[in-house]
Amino acid sequence: MDQFAVTFIPDNITVQVEAGTTILEAANQAGLPLKSTCGGAGTCGRCAIKVQEGEVEIRGSQLPAHLREEGYSLACQTVVMGDAVIAIPTESRLGLHQVLLQDKGRLQDSLTDLLGNYPLDPACKVTSLVLPEPTLTENTSDASRLLATLRKEKGLEGQLDLAFLRELPDSLRQANWQVDVTLAAGSNRLIRVTPRGETRAFGLAIDLGTTTVVVSLLDLHSGERVMRKGSYNRQAAYGDDVISRIIHATSNEGGLKELRQAALDTINDLIAAILTSRGIDPAEVTAATIAGNTTMAHLLLGINPRHLRLQPYIPAAAELPVMKADEVGLNINPLATVQIFPAVASYVGGDIVSGALFTRIASSEELTLFIDIGTNGEMVLGNSDWLISCACSAGPAFEGSGITCGMRAMEGAIEGVSIDPDTLEVELEVIGDSRPSGICGSGLIDCLAKLLHAGIIDRTGNFQEVTTPRLRTTDEGPEFVLAWAAQSSIHRDIVLTGADIKNLIRSKGAVFAGIQSLLKTVSLEIDAIERIIIAGGFGNYLHIPNAIEIGLLPDLPPEKYIFAGNTSLKGAELALLSQPAWQESLELARRMTYLELSAGNLFMEEFVSALFLPHTRLELFPSVGNRSGNERRSS
Amino acid sequence: MAVQILRDSSRAAVQKVVLGATKDQGGTRSHTIVVGGDAALPFHHFEGEIVNRPVIGMEVQDIVPDWPEALKNPFADVINEPGRWAQKCVDEYGADLIYLKLDGADPEGANHSVDQCVATVKEVLQAVGVPLVVVGCGDVEKDHEVLEAVAEAAAGENLLLGNAEQENYKSLTAACMVHKHNIIARSPLDINICKQLNILINEMNLPLDHIVIDPSIGGLGYGIEYAFSIMERMRLGALQGDKMLSMPVICTIGSEAWRSKEATAPVSEYPGWGKETDRGILWEAVTAAALLQAGAHILLMRHPEAVARVKENINQLMVSNAY
Repeated sequence: MDQFAVTFIPDNITVQVEAGTTILEAANQAGLPLKSTCGGAGTCGRCAIKVQEGEVEIRGSQLPAHLREEGYSLACQTVVMGDAVIAIPTESRLGLHQVLLQDKGRLQDSLTDLLGNYPLDPACKVTSLVLPEPTLTENTSDASRLLATLRKEKGLEGQLDLAFLRELPDSLRQANWQVDVTLAAGSNRLIRVTPRGETRAFGLAIDLGTTTVVVSLLDLHSGERVMRKGSYNRQAAYGDDVISRIIHATSNEGGLKELRQAALDTINDLIAAILTSRGIDPAEVTAATIAGNTTMAHLLLGINPRHLRLQPYIPAAAELPVMKADEVGLNINPLATVQIFPAVASYVGGDIVSGALFTRIASSEELTLFIDIGTNGEMVLGNSDWLISCACSAGPAFEGSGITCGMRAMEGAIEGVSIDPDTLEVELEVIGDSRPSGICGSGLIDCLAKLLHAGIIDRTGNFQEVTTPRLRTTDEGPEFVLAWAAQSSIHRDIVLTGADIKNLIRSKGAVFAGIQSLLKTVSLEIDAIERIIIAGGFGNYLHIPNAIEIGLLPDLPPEKYIFAGNTSLKGAELALLSQPAWQESLELARRMTYLELSAGNLFMEEFVSALFLPHTRLELFPSVGNRSGNERRSS
Repeated sequence: MAVQILRDSSRAAVQKVVLGATKDQGGTRSHTIVVGGDAALPFHHFEGEIVNRPVIGMEVQDIVPDWPEALKNPFADVINEPGRWAQKCVDEYGADLIYLKLDGADPEGANHSVDQCVATVKEVLQAVGVPLVVVGCGDVEKDHEVLEAVAEAAAGENLLLGNAEQENYKSLTAACMVHKHNIIARSPLDINICKQLNILINEMNLPLDHIVIDPSIGGLGYGIEYAFSIMERMRLGALQGDKMLSMPVICTIGSEAWRSKEATAPVSEYPGWGKETDRGILWEAVTAAALLQAGAHILLMRHPEAVARVKENINQLMVSNAY
């Protein structure tokens, strides 16, 4: 097949691809991943590029006419037919993404101490042994010698691996029979043998999120965190949400392999960066704990995820065996022990179990609601006696996806909005005090609340007839200008469209309907909830009164709300450092009742009545009713 | 042992809405009509007071409507004059209300001017003493103009004006507030939208006792069961104290019943179905009877014979079954 050169500008990177390759694939090959919410289906319109010169074939395009006239086409629908030069506009790039690693205040003290009451009992341990040297008369094998000493001195039954045996003869002799043995907790599988004395042992806690991946390196001797590092999940090039990734994995040949590799590349690059900066040999990393949703776990392990998406939504496995790093594909000690958090169901995964572990929901008598608002709104309700969980497809709106000018919470994101009720003029709060380039989840929630207050939208989310140049109508309907092109860093107006608002209302409606469904299933009212723990980076910026005002979260006093940051990562760190904690997470996953929202009408009824600001049942939001009554203007 | 009969008692009652205004009250009606106020499920006199009987508003149009002959016949002598048509409905057929449908305003149809529409309303107001329900033609833009003008011209009459819908409620609500009328809040067979619309209207400061719910019913055989269950849910909500579902319910019985093939198909086509006149009347009467049981307060009807049968039915249902 013919090979053609595709050059991307302004980066000036050229790749050789076969005829028929899409520009999306070529850009990936060039290391310039593009946004692709739909995973290359040609429907999301986010991978717009401009063909500067060369021969391409453009299939059907979902782009608006005016963009097509300007020469834009969708990268996933543009096929290479000859050498070509392609311009990638900034807004189509996946871009370098600053992943939020630090919590932004407001954390509850009890949640900052990682171990808490759990003992330091890491996933692998190092034990020192002095082996009797072999002689012509005492000629037992190396392995038997090691196992016998381990048994005699420490009372442990070591387990052998081929890869371990390959290294063993040299290791023992180099150490002159005075060795440190690193072995996996629980199984006592032998990982490495090193000269006695200064053997270090490090472990990785990995939060494998759909959108972001964070790796944390911990010193297993001291239990201290050495370094955290995060980045975008490179699977994003195959779709923004788990559904489009499952589709990619199951409907394209090699799709599953691509996704597995993308996840591994993301993780391994982060590992390499951390280890290099701290001067740590990969062999010294002998344990890892991974928390991810069920789909992420399937994709990372190369397990066919097809049935996660198809009714009745069955995962291949919920509880996974403890594995070895080389089986999984992590670039650390190949024999390192790898614990992957168990899932509850297809859409309540290990990340939630990890979060539940870290937040100690099950060790308190207080009725707690734990919510992780990401692409899916996953939540757990319960206390030390019982736990029930569900997942509602809230969509990625609060992560800025699927919103015209949406973006994640990073520099340049509008995180707060105020609107003068008389002039309808807008003031913005932007992360990093820079010029705005988009609006993030917390900004969207704030914006919705303020538009309602100012009477610019009504409780159904429809724009009202108000006089301000900021409200205008385009071919695609009405939109409100938050920032004019001259103020913004993207040289375009930053707007919130009528469709965006409906999208947000559906998202918040789904989350609240999930909460209501859990409550109704156990016949409790909102008032019964004693504390609400909000997980995820999104929570760091969330303004609770606004979230209540639009009906995203239950109308409970702010002091009942607790922000817990990235609980998936923190739970993974905890399980890495403490075997009792790890054992408890297995127990948690088994104990959690899963409420399937697609069975029966409960969720749908709740969802439909939540499509109102704040809710069709105003009585569920008593504090909101009072406030808006005073402040709304009639137009 | 005697049988213990359980009675449900309600926490709240359906909102009362007063239609029309007499001279003392700033209008010109001979009397007012109160709908709603029920403190029990429909006609459960044994569980709570049913203070006001359901009422019938007979339909009058400002153009000669495209109705089957069987339906036009009783009005043949007056069908060109809305005032006399209304008079006949009240005097001969005992209509409690007149339901004036301004279909002539439709820009796609007769395209009556705003002034013509206002004149028709005034003509009917002069001709009869009963309170009026006035509804536009359904064209959003035109209805804005027409209904605002009607509201202004009939200020003080305490009309029941419609229809406000979720995408389009502001101008009519404002007009009802300024000129002191009642509003019909119409929702598409959806309990949530029904409630949301009531909230939206109420938030513009129109009091709850000036709102009447039109749930958009279907006629017999055409989805009446959906209407039935939505109306049931409204009544249960009202009795449980949900203020935003507590308004009286108005049902467009006549137009829905007479849209059905069963009401209008000629006997020549379906010899087994019997005379079309009887069929249409029965179809309308049965639709009304069913929805009375679901909790209808205002029945908008067309044929005098159907009206007579339903009145008889209401009389029977209003006999107390309390014990």
